[in-house]
Amino acid sequence: MKRRGRGIACMWYPVGYTVTANPSAAVVKMNEDGTATVLTGTVETGQGSLTVLGQIAAQELGIATDDVYVVSADTDATPADMGAIASRTTYVTGNAIRLAAGRAKAILFEVAAPLLGVKPDQLEARDRKIQVKGFPQRCLAIGEVANRAQVDMGQPAIGAASWNPPTVALDPETGQGKPFSTYVYATQIVEVDVDDETGEVEVLRIVAAHDCGTPINPMLVEGQVEGGISMGIGLALHEQILFDDAGRQVNPNLTNYIMPTSLDMPEIEVDIVESFDPTGPFGAKGVGEPTSVPTAAAILNAIHDAVGVRITTLPATADKVLAAIQVKRAGARPALPAA
Amino acid sequence: MADEKRITTAEKEHTLESLRRADHEMRLPAVAPAVPYPIEALVPEVRQQTPAVGQRATRSDGRLHGLGQTRYIDDLVFPGMLYARIKRANVASARIRSIDTSAAQAMPGVMAVLTGREIPVNSFGATLQDQPVLADERVFHAGDGVAAVAAVTEQIATEALEKITVEYEPLPAVFDPLEALKEDAPKVHPPHSNIYATKVIRKGDIEKGFAASDRIFEGLFRTQMVEHVSLEPHAAIADWDPNGRLTVWSTLGRITLGRADLARTLKLPMSRIHVIATIVGGNFGGKNEITQEPVLALLSKKAGRPVKGVFTRGEEFTSTTTRHPFIMDYKTGVTRDGRILARKVRLVLDGGAYCSFSETTLGKACILASGPYKIDNLFVEAFAVYTNKTMAGAMRGFGAPQTCFAYESHMDDIAAALGLDPLDIRLLNAFDEGSASPTGQVLQSVVVKQSLAKAAERFGWKEAGQ
Repeated sequence: MKRRGRGIACMWYPVGYTVTANPSAAVVKMNEDGTATVLTGTVETGQGSLTVLGQIAAQELGIATDDVYVVSADTDATPADMGAIASRTTYVTGNAIRLAAGRAKAILFEVAAPLLGVKPDQLEARDRKIQVKGFPQRCLAIGEVANRAQVDMGQPAIGAASWNPPTVALDPETGQGKPFSTYVYATQIVEVDVDDETGEVEVLRIVAAHDCGTPINPMLVEGQVEGGISMGIGLALHEQILFDDAGRQVNPNLTNYIMPTSLDMPEIEVDIVESFDPTGPFGAKGVGEPTSVPTAAAILNAIHDAVGVRITTLPATADKVLAAIQVKRAGARPALPAA
Repeated sequence: MADEKRITTAEKEHTLESLRRADHEMRLPAVAPAVPYPIEALVPEVRQQTPAVGQRATRSDGRLHGLGQTRYIDDLVFPGMLYARIKRANVASARIRSIDTSAAQAMPGVMAVLTGREIPVNSFGATLQDQPVLADERVFHAGDGVAAVAAVTEQIATEALEKITVEYEPLPAVFDPLEALKEDAPKVHPPHSNIYATKVIRKGDIEKGFAASDRIFEGLFRTQMVEHVSLEPHAAIADWDPNGRLTVWSTLGRITLGRADLARTLKLPMSRIHVIATIVGGNFGGKNEITQEPVLALLSKKAGRPVKGVFTRGEEFTSTTTRHPFIMDYKTGVTRDGRILARKVRLVLDGGAYCSFSETTLGKACILASGPYKIDNLFVEAFAVYTNKTMAGAMRGFGAPQTCFAYESHMDDIAAALGLDPLDIRLLNAFDEGSASPTGQVLQSVVVKQSLAKAAERFGWKEAGQ
């Protein structure tokens, strides 16, 4: 008989990594028509990072996402970057790009200020215009300013910058210090059905409330959450590399190494928790890794809620869950299953 | 001959014609097929709007993916390009007595063969350089590469691997991390200890904290080894120009580090290395480090041709990094109403044969192991241990999914024993803005309680009741 259960898990997760410095550098070049090119050494590995980084540059320059082209992943053309790792791209590379864009923008302001009869610090870049703060009608098209900067003034608007999260090394004795610049937080709540005759677990619904600071692109945040949950389900219920006695893998293939497919995916409801981190670009932190952190914990708590057994070794395969149910039925205290 | 008479003239003509046509088509210059979609891309309105931040902007690479036009490494072909394959040890711990590649070298179509001894600096690694590019003297796990072949086709390269004979002298091996911790366990990297990284976090006084607690709970949790399983396997192409400058197209997620590793292993100045990563078909931490790149570069140098290597799905499992299996001991002291007063955590990470990103995983796991909770008295100790298995490295979460599974299972057990709602016990203990982390860091933009409340509200946690 299928038994319904629900489980909750919350987590915290740092943005960036420890042990060594974690810098990113970036170059932002305005084109003469008011569009821009960004040079970054990070790599798009499927998460949509180049789109997010383009949005950050566009925001700083007051232009649209599509006005920015991002050149990436080429050691000859792009500056140093510690890469697509540790949920750092939006936060660290994003900060570097924002700073670099700010420097290119400063050149545009210097060029526009005398034309608008104000000081550079009285200007802002918005809606593809350089305008006087508080007097948006006193403005110049950003393309016109960029063109003048390059063609008339001989000062192309280009900016370069780097950023490294401020950290304090940990004391080796006590581990005290500031290992990361900031952290994100999340909660996932899971509803499962557990078949108490087969041990099979079906994940029905997951509510995921994630903090990522300012969501630069809410759609891509949702994509990350959904992808992370699928990895979390695999960790919780299916995936496991097995070895024989001689240390050779038994199941190094997708026939015998079981991963969740689209059919195993539950209904997912994503909530983005409102937050703003003053150290991130426009308040953003990151979201890549944390999305897969609480899923397994919440599923295992839901299994416990459904059938009253505590599985302490992952994955909670049907065999393992059924064995635990049988032990419980036999009235014995559930023994720890072997790893 | 009798048989020949049966072939009619028409059949003969047909055969000759098809041969002519095949010949003709083979001589045609390669012409790219016509583009089957409008070049003038429709830009979705959302990508044209300002301000840019907060927009649900479609991805800049979405149209390429949607049309199947993204060029991954395996879509790239260069004139004269060769295909490389790597022979895997398939023994977990052994001394390599000899490697005979002569029969493979002699095969038609085989253009270059490489062994570990030919690699200028045959070691790499993010923290410890304990991983050979190709095993030379010793095999540390069954997925180690021992020799590589570049041939005109992938099939020939694969066949050539069979002709390479390696003589092994089996060595003692250890596969269980708890066994590996013991003094008398076989050493994976002698003379070094199997414990290659440790970390401690100490805050307050746990003995006092436990003494002041009404109840003490203990739990032991274990997790398994898993693979990243990116859609695109590890792939790379290496090519040299006549100035001796190397270009590597690779699925690396970290080109800055990748170039440094290539410069070190090949003993080349960085100015003579060009790394291009294009669009990578999934990473999840599995593509942080070089794998076959130096091998392809050296095969290409030997053969004087570009060389491509694409890992099989099997190699993705056996020969690239995985997620660390954890063994986690938790002990927690609480008041009767559920407030955590003290927690002691011991983590053992099974690192497999090489360090890779174990130090980062160990560090994050230690710092995160107590959960997003205010705990004044805390002691966390963690060890990363070598075993003769596939190496564990970076993977989405760096030790956080494992410890979260432990601390949140433990939390529910405590709540059940005290008769508390799992949501309430979390809200009672969760960090606030300005709380001190286990490392004494004052936390900012803390919204763990908000996330609990928001998820509970959306789920209908309280309405559903117990």
